Amino acid sequence: MTVIDPRLQEALDGERDPAALPAELREAYARLTAAAALLREPPATSVADRVMAEIRREAPAPRPPNWLLRPVTFRLRPVWTLAVAAAVAAVVFLPLRESATPGAEEGVAQFVGHFPGARSVEVVGSFNDWQRGALALRDEDNDGIWHGAVVLPAGQHEYMFVVDGERWVADPLAGRYVDDGFGAGQQNALLIVRP
Amino acid sequence: MTLLLLLLLQSPHARLEGRVPTAALPGLDSLIEQAVAESLPTEPLVQKALEGGAKGIPVPRLVNGVRHGLVQLRDARAIVSRATPARASLDGDVAAVAAALARGLDPRLIERLLPGEPPGPVLHAAADLVAHGFPADSAAELLRAAQQQGLHGTRLLDVAVAASHELQREGGRTPVEALARVRAMLPNVPVATPPHPRTVTRRPGRGS
Repeated sequence: MTVIDPRLQEALDGERDPAALPAELREAYARLTAAAALLREPPATSVADRVMAEIRREAPAPRPPNWLLRPVTFRLRPVWTLAVAAAVAAVVFLPLRESATPGAEEGVAQFVGHFPGARSVEVVGSFNDWQRGALALRDEDNDGIWHGAVVLPAGQHEYMFVVDGERWVADPLAGRYVDDGFGAGQQNALLIVRP
Repeated sequence: MTLLLLLLLQSPHARLEGRVPTAALPGLDSLIEQAVAESLPTEPLVQKALEGGAKGIPVPRLVNGVRHGLVQLRDARAIVSRATPARASLDGDVAAVAAALARGLDPRLIERLLPGEPPGPVLHAAADLVAHGFPADSAAELLRAAQQQGLHGTRLLDVAVAASHELQREGGRTPVEALARVRAMLPNVPVATPPHPRTVTRRPGRGS
């Protein structure tokens, strides 16, 4: 793990006046407190919440039209059965839950990375089957600090940032790392999600 | 039929098709079949293969990486069997021990910590302490003391965090002093407050 300057640690813990820090530590202090403010933000409203809000907004119909009450017979060819099954599988086994409210065996994982000048940053890891494009980080104010949050199952997850679609970087703030086992000495960041 | 189809779609081979180079598939299938034959968990191997495919690892290194994972799973099950001979090895326990081996924990230390509770958190706490430079034996003793004081599961991670904070206090504490301070706090080590304050109390820089 990265060892932090004790004076900076004490300032972050509120045990030392940040104004009394040397200039280089004051800069680091400002950067870290800005990142802390980002982390305190709750995850963005989930897709599920938005959908439920839309559903609630619709006024209930007083009486269903007749065609809704008539029985309907479907005839499906096997190929369509396969397609429907694949769609069900995609939903049932979707690895990421876009919900702001974690369940009993889940927790919120927050990702923050400092990548000035990057055009895109995404998180790829064991929680999304190492699938690209599943979790993009955001930098709305273009200050180079990219962030995002997602609900994940409790437990251990390995992950990396992919910067600009090609550069794989272990999260510098992860604190825990593990060799990726492919023989080039590259390390994955390790995240432990608490329920 | 739908259920059968769902199972087929979730088979390791189906999950790897299109995600790893075609040339790697026979070798990977063989390794996963070996794991199945030995009643070892296959998910860590599938994940390692998917990771290698996503990273564009060349085929020989990709297959070797998964083979290394299989060896770690075998080692892990042997450790679990030695530490808890009275019960059958659970997939989750084997995977957690394999992960601890991957983090570099000494097998003897793992064996000491295994009996008693699901191994994931206590092994990560031990790996965190060792990564901070605490001697492995002292780390194990501290975690045992914490368990005896009623701390379990992810609360043991708080013990490791508290020890690292003590080590970093201004003035400098030796690992022995830091561990003694944390032991005196037990069981009242501070809870790491969500969401992950550890990520904001570290110096940005590596790789960024």
